[in-house]
Amino acid sequence: MTIPTGPCRARIRTNDRMSFVAMLLAVTLAVTGCGSGDPSSAPTSAGGKQKVSFLIFPSPNLPESYWKAQVALVTKTHPDLEVELVAAPSESERNDYAKQLAASGQLPDVQIGMQDLIALEPSLEPWTEEELKDFLCPTCGAVNGKVLQLPANTQTIPNVFYNKKLFAKAGIEAPPKTYAELLATAEKLKAAGITPFVSGGAFVTSQPWTAILATDLYAKTPDWMTKRRQGAVTFAAPDMKAATQKFADLAAKGYIDKRQIGQDYPKTQEAFLAGKGAMYPMGSWFAAAADQSEMKADIGVFAWPSDDGSLHLPAYTGGGLSVSATAKNVAAAKRFALAFQLTKENLDASVKADALFPAIKGYTPPSGTGPVFKSVYDLWQQALAQKATVAPFGWEAGDTAMVPGMQGKFWSAAQDLVSGEKNVDQVLSFLDTEWEKSG
Amino acid sequence: MAVGTIHRRPGPAGTDARGRRDRRRRGPGLWHFLTFAAPGTLVYLCLVLAPIIMSVGYSLTNQALLRPRTEFVGLRNYELLLRDETFLQSLRVTTILTLIVVIVPNVLGVAVAVLLDRRGWLYNALRSVFFTPMVISSVVISVIWTRILADDGPVNQALRALGVREPPGWLSDPDIALYSLSSIVCWQMLGFCVVVYLAGLQGVPQELGEAAAIDGAGAVRRFRHVTWPLLAPALTINTVVLLISAFKIFDHVKVITNGGPGTGTTASVAFVVLQEGFVENRTGYASAEAVVMLVVIAALSVVTLRILQRREVQL
Amino acid sequence: MSRSSPPWLRPLVALAVAAIFAIPLYIALINVFKQSRQVAADTLAPPAPPTLDNLVHVLTGPDSLFWSSLRTSVLVTSLSIAVLAVLSAMLGHYLARHTGWWSRAIMVLLLCGLMIPPQVILIPVTQVLKSLGLMSTLQGLVLFNVGYYVPFGVFVFSGFMKAVPRELEEAAAIDGATRWQTFWRIVFPLLRPATASVLIFLGVWIWNDFLNPLIIYGPREGTTIMTGVYKSLGQYAADFGGMFALMFLATLPILVFYLLLQKQFVKGLTGGATKG
Repeated sequence: MTIPTGPCRARIRTNDRMSFVAMLLAVTLAVTGCGSGDPSSAPTSAGGKQKVSFLIFPSPNLPESYWKAQVALVTKTHPDLEVELVAAPSESERNDYAKQLAASGQLPDVQIGMQDLIALEPSLEPWTEEELKDFLCPTCGAVNGKVLQLPANTQTIPNVFYNKKLFAKAGIEAPPKTYAELLATAEKLKAAGITPFVSGGAFVTSQPWTAILATDLYAKTPDWMTKRRQGAVTFAAPDMKAATQKFADLAAKGYIDKRQIGQDYPKTQEAFLAGKGAMYPMGSWFAAAADQSEMKADIGVFAWPSDDGSLHLPAYTGGGLSVSATAKNVAAAKRFALAFQLTKENLDASVKADALFPAIKGYTPPSGTGPVFKSVYDLWQQALAQKATVAPFGWEAGDTAMVPGMQGKFWSAAQDLVSGEKNVDQVLSFLDTEWEKSG
Repeated sequence: MAVGTIHRRPGPAGTDARGRRDRRRRGPGLWHFLTFAAPGTLVYLCLVLAPIIMSVGYSLTNQALLRPRTEFVGLRNYELLLRDETFLQSLRVTTILTLIVVIVPNVLGVAVAVLLDRRGWLYNALRSVFFTPMVISSVVISVIWTRILADDGPVNQALRALGVREPPGWLSDPDIALYSLSSIVCWQMLGFCVVVYLAGLQGVPQELGEAAAIDGAGAVRRFRHVTWPLLAPALTINTVVLLISAFKIFDHVKVITNGGPGTGTTASVAFVVLQEGFVENRTGYASAEAVVMLVVIAALSVVTLRILQRREVQL
Repeated sequence: MSRSSPPWLRPLVALAVAAIFAIPLYIALINVFKQSRQVAADTLAPPAPPTLDNLVHVLTGPDSLFWSSLRTSVLVTSLSIAVLAVLSAMLGHYLARHTGWWSRAIMVLLLCGLMIPPQVILIPVTQVLKSLGLMSTLQGLVLFNVGYYVPFGVFVFSGFMKAVPRELEEAAAIDGATRWQTFWRIVFPLLRPATASVLIFLGVWIWNDFLNPLIIYGPREGTTIMTGVYKSLGQYAADFGGMFALMFLATLPILVFYLLLQKQFVKGLTGGATKG
């Protein structure tokens, strides 16, 4: 007879009405009373430090220790700041999580790498021209003319990473230069029993689609998204349809393994690094993981080829820190965010751990970066020199992006195409419907 | 839930409360209410009932938590719902999930309970084995099964070893994922059914079965005509509990498939409501979905309960 | 199977069925003691050689995620179920002993509460808690748990109450005991199996809940342990061993709690049916 009703029993054995009042008091105290010690109501702590909470996203590439070290670099030079880390469940869920926190009034003071800036607009504090003076592209990602996120770095999305050994095994001598060559390469790989494209989970599946939309849609109509937002075009438009058909064909021909769409992002990356596929269309950040792997010397990079072989590289500048408009201490939060983005050691660490290209005036990447990073960086420089960068479809921010909530639909639509669950027409009409619902 | 109903039996004479009216109750009746009933009722009122009414209110507006202006839009959200493919699909998903989760553990539960309906340490231990998944968090269960059903997980490894060249993509094939997900929930809920049926079986007097056996009834007939009717209350409990649990399924979807693969192939209503409300931040619209969900589950539970209890009486 | 088949058949079949059923549990257990690489390569194989690294890593992790969230979970769960047991026992007693319209109305409203999915009310609940100043606090989470689970507690207790003879209470009243004394001294001890059931079910549900704490408790005050597990999925995505160790440690306390109370609980399930 040992039921641990201890707490209740102890309270219960006492007798009269007084004890009831006492109990009610105790319960009320337990439930509400301690609320007076609510720490969130105190922006400054005992030592006169200014508290800033910071929403981060730990991942295998960027473990909690990375974030701690990054923050420590800032607090070293700003000893009056006290930074509290808040971790999002995962990299791919950080946006959903941030929106959920914003919806329940709990958005941390500073966030990193938010993508759905339009949805978050009411919760974010705009940056001033003065604060943005050190950034290469101060107006990148603006929402209704307001810059809500520091345009801190550039990422190219996607590049095609390829496994040199597997290419050699299939008898392929050089990476493809035109789209026809890309198809031929994929066919050879398939014939050799090698999965041509590694794919997986939500956003990875959509990477080839983003690539095709860059060479086939954005290269010709750079303001397509603006037109879509004005209602001048729809997803059912012929150029969009043709590009989407190309993507669906890749899956139909078996170049993308539809069995991989259920695996998550870390496993997808692992699959490519374990040689389970020859080509991996992925953002430039993958260079960091590639350079840490044993096969870094065997990984090459090329830009997704267009029909005529001209270079169009999707690149996106943004991805930095943003500050909550309801932060207890907006000034401190902003000071922390700027210091985080402008400290040289921080940027160097982000280059090494996350393969970012900092978009800060006068910054050059440190020496000693890995071979894969170098090739990705060079490819970007080459595209910059040729003025051949375009927007990465689905990754744009602010006024040039899809309406809020569409990114996730775009990703899941890509899975529908690969699995064959929906055909091109169905997917495009789905996207149009969802767009109307969100708008 | 289980516990309460299983005890339904003719109460002692004292439970006949009507007609007794002693003075003590009238005077301090209010005090009695305040001390015994009010605290629980109040918390329930504030945190469950009031929110339901608020939900109904929100559902008539275009409220979005991050947008400042909210307008009254009447029944527009409900009209939109009827044409919203995402929501309609989530209703289909939940229907399939619910059917599987109500039927399978019930059927297997009876079988396992009959198998374990003996005394002794072995059967006690085995009962605990079956019940253990009920004690483990859905998050943990989900992660374990995600590993088991992964393409390089033990199931497909075994199938490949047996010579299957292309084993199914349990969680990546849009045509299969929902059934994999349902099976995982069934596995987790089975123990509950087993325990409830065992409790029911142990209430079946041994003599009844023996008497029937002497009359020459075979095992199957004995079960059909003697045991099964007496399990009726257990069936009611299990069905209602499974129905309600199946309708609420969210954790498994969130952790295992996040609604995918593809668009909403495993997105349950509960998942869509949360996605719409907390991620897309369309609170008004999400509330309309929530209200529809509530009405459906209320209707289903009442109908099921009525049917099963009528059956209990008839038996 | 009982009469015509050999006596060893039933235990054998029972064992076999249970063994198949328990494979996922086996996987959850052995992978705690394997290197991540081995988990990925062969999930089913026994650990070779067994390692305690995963456990040590979780227990001594620099972020002390485990210990802080363990503390939170223990607090939330024990406070919630203690308050719930008291409040729902009293409410259940009241409703079982009163048959007025208000009493029946409360009962019906509570029964409705049994089937309400938390998703339906979470959005307004955040508003209610915000207006009480309890959003993102432990107290707010406990309060929500109490409100949400009170119907279950009442349902169990009022069902049991029917088995408690009313004469006992009347006799005590004649002896001059107050209602309060009668309830706690005479009735409540008789409800022990019901209390055990309520504590077990609610303890398990509240401990294992990840959604409500994720939204109500918020991100800043730390997390409960299951929310912690959920939030670690990204970080541990490539570290299977660590993941399994964290899940094992997060489940252990509630499993032990269940096993300790199990006897009472089974009695609670079967007692009324057999004693009747």
